[in-house]
Amino acid sequence: MPELGRAALIICLGLAVYALVAGAYAAVTRRRRLSGSAQNALLAAFVAAGVASAVLFAALLRNDFSFTYVADHTSRELPTPYTISAFWGGQEGSLLLWLLVLTGFSGVAVAFGRRIGADVLAWVVPVLGLVTTFFAFMLVAVSSPFETQVAPADGAGLNPSLQNPYMMIHPPFLYLGYVGLTIPFAFAMGALLARRTDEMWIVATRRWTLVAWTALGIGQLLGAHWAYVEVGWGGYFAWDPVENAALMPWLAATAFLHSVMIQEKRGMLKVWNVLLVVLAFVLALFGTFLTRSGVLSSIHSFTESPLGAWFLGFIFLIVLGSALLIGSRLPLLRSKTRMESLVSREATFLYNNLLLVALCLTILWGVLFPILSEAVRGEQITVGAPYYNFFLRIFGLPLLLLMGIGPLVAWRRASLRSLGRSFAWPAAIAVATGLVLLLLGAGSSWIGLVAYTFSAFVLGSIGYEFVRGTRARRALTGGSWVNAFAELVARNRRRYGGYVVHASIVMLAIGIAGSSAYDTVRERMLSPGQTMAVGNYDLTYERLVQRDGPNADEARAVVDVRKGGESLGTLEAGKNHYRAEDQVSNEVGIRSDYLTGEDLFVITDAINTNGTVVFKVFVKPLVNLIWLAGLVFIIGSLITLWPSAAEQRRLAERYRELRALARA
Amino acid sequence: MARPSPVRLVIALSVAAVLAIFLLYVSVAGGTPSIQPSQLKGHSGNVALVGKVVGTPQGDGHAAQGLRFDLQDVKGSATVPVVYRGSVPDQFKTGRELRLEGQLERGVFVAKRDSMRTKCPSKYTAKKDT
Repeated sequence: MPELGRAALIICLGLAVYALVAGAYAAVTRRRRLSGSAQNALLAAFVAAGVASAVLFAALLRNDFSFTYVADHTSRELPTPYTISAFWGGQEGSLLLWLLVLTGFSGVAVAFGRRIGADVLAWVVPVLGLVTTFFAFMLVAVSSPFETQVAPADGAGLNPSLQNPYMMIHPPFLYLGYVGLTIPFAFAMGALLARRTDEMWIVATRRWTLVAWTALGIGQLLGAHWAYVEVGWGGYFAWDPVENAALMPWLAATAFLHSVMIQEKRGMLKVWNVLLVVLAFVLALFGTFLTRSGVLSSIHSFTESPLGAWFLGFIFLIVLGSALLIGSRLPLLRSKTRMESLVSREATFLYNNLLLVALCLTILWGVLFPILSEAVRGEQITVGAPYYNFFLRIFGLPLLLLMGIGPLVAWRRASLRSLGRSFAWPAAIAVATGLVLLLLGAGSSWIGLVAYTFSAFVLGSIGYEFVRGTRARRALTGGSWVNAFAELVARNRRRYGGYVVHASIVMLAIGIAGSSAYDTVRERMLSPGQTMAVGNYDLTYERLVQRDGPNADEARAVVDVRKGGESLGTLEAGKNHYRAEDQVSNEVGIRSDYLTGEDLFVITDAINTNGTVVFKVFVKPLVNLIWLAGLVFIIGSLITLWPSAAEQRRLAERYRELRALARA
Repeated sequence: MARPSPVRLVIALSVAAVLAIFLLYVSVAGGTPSIQPSQLKGHSGNVALVGKVVGTPQGDGHAAQGLRFDLQDVKGSATVPVVYRGSVPDQFKTGRELRLEGQLERGVFVAKRDSMRTKCPSKYTAKKDT
């Protein structure tokens, strides 16, 4: 079996090298049949990666501990779902998943990307071949999941923190996001190599970018929820390098998704868009480098493996190659149109881009600062949460405001009269919300108050846009308001789906502001029968319960919860001792109030042998809006991505126009 | 003569603003040196101390006298006694790598309350030494 896995990976590497070399030769010499053969090699590489993945899955499910990887990451006691998720629970397996997704995406992108034109596609193939070659080589020569050993009686098991349903889906979503960013990168480079600098590559990869961006966003929210319910420190994001590694490419991709609209509408920012797509891809690689190189001190345990040097070399190659290519194509990338006014839709998109990129690069600076300071001063200087929070406020609050301003401003040039008309309602809603919140005592955190006021402005602006559009649609077609609304969204899914995504970001901002600026925390040691008060809650520690779980010994403190004298039932919080792994993990107790979005969050900080328990209890207002924002984010993204016949017709027309322009 | 593009003006002003804010922040807030026990000498202010727990920890993080243990360089033999009060992560035990914030006071590293972070063995854990 391991031989089959190894052979499949070697074949995959060979096919990737063929796609790279033959594809590049075919593109230079314009040999169509050879180019087609290179494309087929990419498809075949997916089959080979699939075979290798099937071998590893089979070994995991059979508890075949002669595979070192299986023995290192599973045990006989490990429940089957976590045995499956152990596929991406270790370094080698996660790299294999990366390769599988990459080859799958490459195959689909090449098969469905033919409309972009044979000249561009011919160059896309070797770029995809290059990335695939790198990952296949890593798995063949540096970090193979098919190393074998004399099978031990049992495996080491999976880290208890990873034995959580969220960990079954969080990493795959991140990989879909990271790897998905390869496709727009490959098409951008393909277009530059083919000297096709129109927006064809953007039109062809818009869905890919959206899918990758959505997956990366969902992956991060799942990770945040996992941290919230599993890691048990009372938070959901800690600005750890691993978390930043996923956030940075998402921010770059967000900027890209906005700036491509300027290129599509006005033919501007061509260089900027290519730079953004390279930045997003390089940051995805950089995130992988960070988690595998051991160069940074993190609360996550990084492997000091030889992978880091390989990744650094590959990143250097990509940055250098992209810079040289963009530099050589600069004359072709000049915009034919120019921005007419600083008060226009495209200008607000530009401000939004600058803020997003500034936030992204500031985070990157914070991540790199320990390495740079060590190189310059001889010791590592770390910047913690205060640094990141400072810049999140500096750049995040104006970004929030711009989300409300952008949709209300006209393209090209906006007049003062039209601005006054569009801004009146959203501004009135924002001011009224701010005043009411101030009267309710929200002024205890000015950041929270500003965030809420801006959020009200954005929601007012989104609502205004929906009302204005629905009214116009109804005036045009007649019928009911509901029909007019449905037609409005269906006919312009990209725009209105985008507004729904904006609404989700506002919900996220409200949830983050509420749970971090207005939370309450209390810590006390209680004996059975004693009570502590936190916010409006009274918690009585009733008893300690010990029981056997499927793979862990469980200790739970049973707590009676009351609010304003009314009983809300009991809550259990405690610790699990995982037998195979011999590790302890916190199991928090959470009571969510879905009406107010508030959580009562109970941690048993210490369970003492005399029966006393040290409780740490948080009351987190509005925190559930963060998770609800995830659902709204998915809905918005699906609306944007959902195919429509009208859009397909527009797209086909666009392709025809662009091809005609390219020929002219 | 053609007017300069507003795009360039916006970008230039934005970059200048970002640099100004950045310099302001760095000059006001700075960062925290991240060092190991062997590098503690000469550091009188607040630092992040990284090392591994050696010996047998004594006391309790929630008691007045705190949790007491020795921290050693990850790859070295220099150690420093540590006193810590606050939440003790479940992963804390002898041999575990951890990170604390605090400062050296009369030969003892006094950690800030709740500043202990053990390295969370994530999905990329190093292979065990066997």
